[in-house]
Amino acid sequence: MIGPSRVAELDMPGAAIEGASTRPAQSYWNESWERLRANRIGMAAGILILIFALIAILAPVFSAVLTHFQPQTIDLSQTFSPPGGKHLLGTDELGRDTLTRLIWGARVTLGVALLTVAVSLTVGTAVGMMAGYYGGWLDDLLMRLVDTVLAIPAIFLFILMSILFRPTPVSLALIIASVGWGQVARLVRGEVLSVKQRDFILATRSIGARHLRLMLRHLLPNVLPVLIVAASLGVGQIILIEAALDFLGLGIQPPTPSWGNQLTNAESYFFHSIWLVNFPGLLIFVTVLASNVFGNAIRDAFDPRLK
Amino acid sequence: MLAKYVARRFLASLVVVLGVTLITLVLMDRTRGTYVPGIDLNPALRPEDIARLRADLGLDRPFYIWYLTWIWGVVHGDFGRSMIDGSTVMSHILDRLPNTLELTGTAILIGIVIAIPVGVIGALRHGSKADHTLTVVSVAGFAVPQFWMGLILILIFSVTLEQHGLPWLPSSGAYSAVNGGDFIDRVEHLILPATVLSFFYMSTWSRFIRSSMLEVLSQDYIRTARAKGMSERRVVYLHGLRNALIPLVTLIGLELPGLVSGGLVVEVVFGWQPARRPAVRRARSSDSIFMRTPQDLRFCGGPK
Repeated sequence: MIGPSRVAELDMPGAAIEGASTRPAQSYWNESWERLRANRIGMAAGILILIFALIAILAPVFSAVLTHFQPQTIDLSQTFSPPGGKHLLGTDELGRDTLTRLIWGARVTLGVALLTVAVSLTVGTAVGMMAGYYGGWLDDLLMRLVDTVLAIPAIFLFILMSILFRPTPVSLALIIASVGWGQVARLVRGEVLSVKQRDFILATRSIGARHLRLMLRHLLPNVLPVLIVAASLGVGQIILIEAALDFLGLGIQPPTPSWGNQLTNAESYFFHSIWLVNFPGLLIFVTVLASNVFGNAIRDAFDPRLK
Repeated sequence: MLAKYVARRFLASLVVVLGVTLITLVLMDRTRGTYVPGIDLNPALRPEDIARLRADLGLDRPFYIWYLTWIWGVVHGDFGRSMIDGSTVMSHILDRLPNTLELTGTAILIGIVIAIPVGVIGALRHGSKADHTLTVVSVAGFAVPQFWMGLILILIFSVTLEQHGLPWLPSSGAYSAVNGGDFIDRVEHLILPATVLSFFYMSTWSRFIRSSMLEVLSQDYIRTARAKGMSERRVVYLHGLRNALIPLVTLIGLELPGLVSGGLVVEVVFGWQPARRPAVRRARSSDSIFMRTPQDLRFCGGPK
């Protein structure tokens, strides 16, 4: 997209830029991928997230091989046993195995984050694209709606909605996404407004392309880099929000384990059972850290201007 | 020109305010329900008593009447009363607001005061060891769950220090219940929660100042200033920092609503309010009148 034309421009007669045309033409995606691969810390963070995702997907296997416990098995003779021995990372106030609950909690926590990102991106892109593309009263209407949603403090909406809809992983993701789409919509709208002015859109329109085709085939690919960056930077924040809601008792309800709700009760036991606080907290921290670092790497790779 | 712009923005924000109240009240309407869960099951209450109670509280009125009555009240400075004890919503807010502002205000202030030098050092020694270290700290501050950091700080500075007979910091509350409330006592209580909250602000803003400063320092007028022989100190602080801080003002402005609601999680961990999680608790007991106002208040704090 960018590559070939730039090389063509440089490939003019003139001694000073003799070597410029020897660089092979590469697509935007190839270039970005190369840049991303060169970022070692970013790649390490990405691989760490992949590993966590794998553990989440294969939770039954891992808990069968590693821990031999079920996440909701209560054993009142084994409450608060410290890490080591039969329970690798200790047990909680009901004698449930911490490691098992963390492994299964990864499913909930990462799953909610993924679903939230997917929903916010889909809705936000649709709204932002329509607002930016059609403009006029539709733009005004949709953007005032976005302003309104973003003006309500998120935590207040979360509190209200988690009372209205009993929070399950799916409903919790929808609750968080009900705020997240607004920012995506603003972002996409701005991007569409600038891409819309370019000549190739005019050219496409002049050969008779319809609105839907213009939006999906020509605008969307150009907005995609911004979306990828927004998504990868958003995951960490969503995990933090979800964990905080779980901690406040407004998120995933026990006995379903999530990383955040394992800390809810830990608050009262952490004086004597520090592992109940440390392991879930550390996991959230590392995961969010990894997704932020990976998100930054993606941003640097896909949009060097922003660095 | 400006007047027209201001008028347009004002109209737009009016639309947003009405939208906010409408969305909020639709959600509230869904939750207001029977006011006390299980009131219908109380054998001591006859059905006509229940009906009378509901009528007194306005629960039998249709939604739009409810909404209009409320808007009318707000315009006249009346935010409503609690359905549980009849106290005014305003009195509850005024009860808690000073504590909240004390915490968030301090945290934002400390955040700015630390973020500026951290960001400037990062930009001036771009790529050095100091820069890398500060970057790592900022990135960590962005990723650490506030409730976890709070619990760990309590464990170290309240529990462990006390166990070893060393001076320790209080772990909860805004002041001591007994013989407390003087300045020193409040500051002691403030240290841990303000540390957690300001760490977050510091991380965000220092990154921002760093990149803003880097951009400013690469501008032509900085080169001009250097070329005419101005001392490096004057270049950096007079021309560089002053211009780099302009976007920060916007950023801090956007954070103003956080003065009211930004510290919620920290407030919960450190038991900052006399009654824990008032909004959450009220919501659980369907005291819907009460729920509306903290957010409207926050909204007034900073229109986006």
